[in-house]
Amino acid sequence: MTTTSAETVIAPARTRAAAASATVRRKQGFQHGAWFVAPFLVLFALFVIWPLLRGLYLSFTDANISGDATNFIGLDNYREALDDPLVWESLGHSVYFTLLVVPCITVLAFLLAMLAHHIERGKWLWRLCFFAPFLLPSTVAANLWQWLFNPGTGMVNHVFGIETAWLTDKSYAMLAVVVCTLWWTVGFSFLLYLAALQGIPAHLYEAAKLDGANAWHRMIHITLPMMRSITGLVIALQILASLQVFDQAVVMMDFLPGPEGSTRTFVQYTLEEGFTSYRVGYASAISIIFFVIIAAVALARMWLLRNREEGGR
Amino acid sequence: MGRPGLNRRQLLAGLSGVTVAGSLGFAALGTGADALASGADTRVRYWNLFSGGDGYNMIAMLDAFRRANPGIDVKDSTLQWGSPFYTKLAMAAAGNRAPDLGVMHLGRVTGFSPGRLLDPWDVDLLAKYGVREADFNPELWKRAVIGGKLYALPLDIHVQLCFYRKDVLKKAGLLGDDGHIVPVTSVDEWFDVLKEAKKATKKGLQTIGMWSADQNFQWWFFVAFYTQLGGTWFDDANTEVTFDTEKATRVLEFLRRHITDGYVNPGFAGGAGAEQFVNGGPFVWEGNWSVPVFDGAKIQYGATPLPPVFGEQATHAESHSFVLPHQADRGGAANEGAHQLAAYIVQHAQQWAAGGHIPAYTPTLSTAAYKKMNPQSEYVSAMDHQATEPKVWFAGSTGILAQRVGPVVVSSTMGSAKPDAAARTMKSTLTELLAMKNPMDGRTAAQGGAVA
Repeated sequence: MTTTSAETVIAPARTRAAAASATVRRKQGFQHGAWFVAPFLVLFALFVIWPLLRGLYLSFTDANISGDATNFIGLDNYREALDDPLVWESLGHSVYFTLLVVPCITVLAFLLAMLAHHIERGKWLWRLCFFAPFLLPSTVAANLWQWLFNPGTGMVNHVFGIETAWLTDKSYAMLAVVVCTLWWTVGFSFLLYLAALQGIPAHLYEAAKLDGANAWHRMIHITLPMMRSITGLVIALQILASLQVFDQAVVMMDFLPGPEGSTRTFVQYTLEEGFTSYRVGYASAISIIFFVIIAAVALARMWLLRNREEGGR
Repeated sequence: MGRPGLNRRQLLAGLSGVTVAGSLGFAALGTGADALASGADTRVRYWNLFSGGDGYNMIAMLDAFRRANPGIDVKDSTLQWGSPFYTKLAMAAAGNRAPDLGVMHLGRVTGFSPGRLLDPWDVDLLAKYGVREADFNPELWKRAVIGGKLYALPLDIHVQLCFYRKDVLKKAGLLGDDGHIVPVTSVDEWFDVLKEAKKATKKGLQTIGMWSADQNFQWWFFVAFYTQLGGTWFDDANTEVTFDTEKATRVLEFLRRHITDGYVNPGFAGGAGAEQFVNGGPFVWEGNWSVPVFDGAKIQYGATPLPPVFGEQATHAESHSFVLPHQADRGGAANEGAHQLAAYIVQHAQQWAAGGHIPAYTPTLSTAAYKKMNPQSEYVSAMDHQATEPKVWFAGSTGILAQRVGPVVVSSTMGSAKPDAAARTMKSTLTELLAMKNPMDGRTAAQGGAVA
């Protein structure tokens, strides 16, 4: 009993001591953590938050490239942007590109991942082939496809025996950029899908097999449902990346906005206004508008996902 | 437990600090050693935009200058051509970190805020080094003068040319006894020439390449032919648009007809035109910078200014010119060195002409060495009939004007807009631009925008 009474006395003291040392550890952990996070926070504040705030301020001014004194002009830039046909046209091009790329890349990445997952021989080779283009810089990928689409000597027309003016006909120019983008970026989504496929427990398939489910049923009832969350992620990331399309289109079109401006994207138009027309204030205003659009898409996606999760519960 | 971690971090921080400081120190040492090694007492920092063959020629000229002037160390930097170059130049000038000497397209000078981003040339100092106004084509010099001061020293003019294959034209009976293309003086004559040339062209090749989908080239060709018709853009006060839609329509119809009559394959709309030419296509309209390319391809070819189909001779011309980016304390030895260097390059542009450009310094043009250059000497007359963009702040190579109006010309040439509708769109765009305020000084063209 003594031991018991002693234990009853000692135990709370131990607990208190343990709690106190846990608090100290937490505190220390926080301090250490803060040190680790600090470099990121400093860079984030310096290169994201500050430029964003500065851009917001400039969007209310008539600032030019030289950094000379500027006038506060209120909402004039925003008013002008809403009336500017090129704002809408270039936004349309970015959205059109996104609508083409996102479904294609999602389906393609899934199919490639299935192939790489199930194939037995030369597994590493398939994975390398599908992922390798993603490692190339955008300029390399764009230049490569510029050659492939060349009407005279390009491989695309040669292989299909056609004479399509891929890069100079306004009906095809954006498609050419889309094809280049699919080849170049599918590797990333492919990798996400492959990781997800490898994460599905084998016993699910075994159990289904024992129950007599064929390959098609296993796909419909196991693989696809298990892929739902990763598909959501792939789509969201692709939408955000595609809306910001810029470099491959610009390089493929030799730094011009494509035939009759057909590949001028929103980011490119912002750049033109800021750095060719030297209208930094106006360029800031349209980039803020774009920021709001992208943020709205991201928030809408988050909201949809949360609703779906809550609905699921 | 935290201590060793902290020490490790301190060590890491210390190491990285030493690395950074060390690299800065080495960098400083590098520049110092650089200057010391040259043994020069004056350093001229020079920014240019010449790559490829032009870059090679420019470096050769700079090396010649260095050999002739060991007292001046030229620190040249080649930057990416186009808008990024102008952006960097503007920001360097605004931030008072401008180089001593720079290069710009002459048409862009008006919009580059002379007096604020650019400093004027000291014409007496230029004269001391052998360069005088009398040595330049008067029209060219006039374009470089803004508000009575010289803001650009022209190095060359580069023009749009009609390249032709002598072997194909000979077969078609279109080559004169002098080995040059038969003269063309009207639209009908031009299309007759194309018709005959087409008959002599191998199957699968187009008759003429003319960058039909390129907004820059189509705009340049438009400027050339519109000038041939005597077309104007704005009145002298820059308050009214004098653009003639009827003349413009004639030019746009002319450009379009090359496609509708089957002489241009829209499939070969871009740079493929030059490939077709090398492979045996009889004609291509290209910039004179293609001369080294066609020389390298070892084909028999000639080059004339764009055909004067509307009567008057006129071909599109731009000019690479030297400028003095604004420095708050411009003057002294580096400034004089910049004058000396620019004057030297301008006078020794024979090497530059190998790249196809026509030297702006006219005494070069009458030398025997230049006259021997082929096809350069065949198109040298272009110096006397330059078709240029209007002298307003929004004009100039790849400037706002070209960006806004170029695609309209393309839409007509490629057939997605009717020529007369495109001409009206061009006029309304010009009207908008004339009313637009120059972002550099908040004034319109009529208010003398950019001439601060």
